[in-house]
Amino acid sequence: MTVDATYLVQLTLNGIALGLLYALIAVGLSLIFGVMEIINFAHGELLMLGAFAMAFVLPVTGLLYWPALAAAILAIMLVGWAVYEVLLVRLRTDEFERSILITLGLSIILIHLMQYFFTATPRLVDTQYGFNGVEIGSIRITWTRVIGAGAALAAFAGLYLVLRYTQFGRAMRAIAQNREAALMVGIRPRVVARNAVVLAAGLCGLAGAAIAPIQLVTPYMGQFLIFKAFALVIIGGLGNIPGAIAAAIGLGLIESWIGGFFEIAWQEGAVFVIMIVVLFLRPDGLFKKGGMRVG
Amino acid sequence: MKLLAAPLASMVAALLLAALPLVTSSNYVIGIGLSALIFTVAAAALNLIYGYTGLLSFAQLGFWGIGGYATALTVVTFGGNFWWGLLWAALVNAVLAIVVGYPTLRTNRHAFVIVTLTFALLVTLIARDWVSLTRGPLGIPNLPAPEAFGHRFAGTAQFYWVAWAFSVAMLGFLYALCSSRIGRTLVAIKQNEPLVRAQGIAPVPYKLAAFAISAAITGAAGGVYCFHLGIIDPLFLDFYYMQTFLIIVIIGGAGSFWGVVVAGVVMSALPELLRFSEDLRMVIYGAILVVAMFVMPSGVAGWLRERQLLRMREHVR
Repeated sequence: MTVDATYLVQLTLNGIALGLLYALIAVGLSLIFGVMEIINFAHGELLMLGAFAMAFVLPVTGLLYWPALAAAILAIMLVGWAVYEVLLVRLRTDEFERSILITLGLSIILIHLMQYFFTATPRLVDTQYGFNGVEIGSIRITWTRVIGAGAALAAFAGLYLVLRYTQFGRAMRAIAQNREAALMVGIRPRVVARNAVVLAAGLCGLAGAAIAPIQLVTPYMGQFLIFKAFALVIIGGLGNIPGAIAAAIGLGLIESWIGGFFEIAWQEGAVFVIMIVVLFLRPDGLFKKGGMRVG
Repeated sequence: MKLLAAPLASMVAALLLAALPLVTSSNYVIGIGLSALIFTVAAAALNLIYGYTGLLSFAQLGFWGIGGYATALTVVTFGGNFWWGLLWAALVNAVLAIVVGYPTLRTNRHAFVIVTLTFALLVTLIARDWVSLTRGPLGIPNLPAPEAFGHRFAGTAQFYWVAWAFSVAMLGFLYALCSSRIGRTLVAIKQNEPLVRAQGIAPVPYKLAAFAISAAITGAAGGVYCFHLGIIDPLFLDFYYMQTFLIIVIIGGAGSFWGVVVAGVVMSALPELLRFSEDLRMVIYGAILVVAMFVMPSGVAGWLRERQLLRMREHVR
């Protein structure tokens, strides 16, 4: 089989874009798990709400991309704050199963409320960039994809700086690494947990808003992504942020390559096979269990 | 006397349920009864792994679907009969449960939840995308009615007996298992695993066995249910089924055998009475799940037990 170089580069670029999107979701999950030791099942629905927010705000801003993106992120951070204050604040750290069941209930409610009010008909979201793109040789990528990938990279850089250099981020790492010691030096777990959830929701809102012009927007769009994000969190090591990012980009590439050459069933199955193999070889995930270390 | 009350009551209830097709000729009502029986079996199997062993498994949905497809394919593609199909469904699922469970159970219970969840999704995708085997979104229609001893169980009323016999057998088996030494060991593993180890019991084989049995029973239940529907397609793996099993276990009371059985019958009939639009019904399901987790995390059975304990304490005082 001869492999066309252009095709391969195109697949690789698509894979990276896909991987960055997975990473935005997986990092949020890792962040919440690191601080609260719970899993947010409704994380995919935050992404879905982000995409819907983008779809609703764009016509208001006259298809301007950036204000709509900012509005969507802000809206989802507010949703995250509400979810924390109403539901998650009542959970203790050892209540893992309970956290899953509660957020599963929330996810069901959100999906079906959205479907009830806005129907399951897929929406096409148009922006100021339309389908214009940048062309390098014979490879063509739309602007919305380039901006989405760029925004994700910027978000990771920002997250790194926040976690490494600000009091806000250091407190999160402190709680993740040693709860008791963090309590002793006067860090309030409730405030830190709220910050982590709001931050994770913001990343998810960004992912949703960035994906809205690329994919069709439906109430179910979050569900399939969240399953993969869960697997990535396991592969990267629970609560390990760099691990989750590496695993996400790796998976994006692998899926894109497999999808380019084999049947689609293999592409979807890849994540599960990788996860089982990783668990066999390294039960704590590919990267050492990190306690949310960034440097 | 009190010792005999529960088995007696359950036998009377089972016989009353068996008489349902004699009381009514409405296929709609019999269909609800049939769903209630099968959902109760699937929920009881989930109760074995979650309620007793303390491992939250979302893979039940995958096992349910694989069981359905295995049974349907045995009959339609491989030319076997319905009963062999059920056996295959149970066997395939037990093996899969061991293959997935072995690497996963070595880690921690967090990983178990997430791996089982991803497994369920994977099965959905395979059912949709492996078109040469499962016929993809078109599904396999016109599943024939099963036969035994020269009798054909055609129609809902006839098939109800098959489902009834299956459910009573499975629930009986699960009851015997849960109230045996094995069941008590599983509860001990859930409550204090280090203590179980200290007693010289290896927990992993027990967990693995519970997972495999739970998978086999769920798979067979899926096999029976898809022959009731008469068709199997990827919608058979809708997350709706998993939600139903979970809500039955949680409302009934995880770890309480009879609580889950009663909740299974009630919760399967209730949605039929509350006939809203599909979406609003699911919203109510979600709300029930959230509220139940806060108000009575151990279900109705757990709530009743707590009340009883409270009263006994007051009595002592």
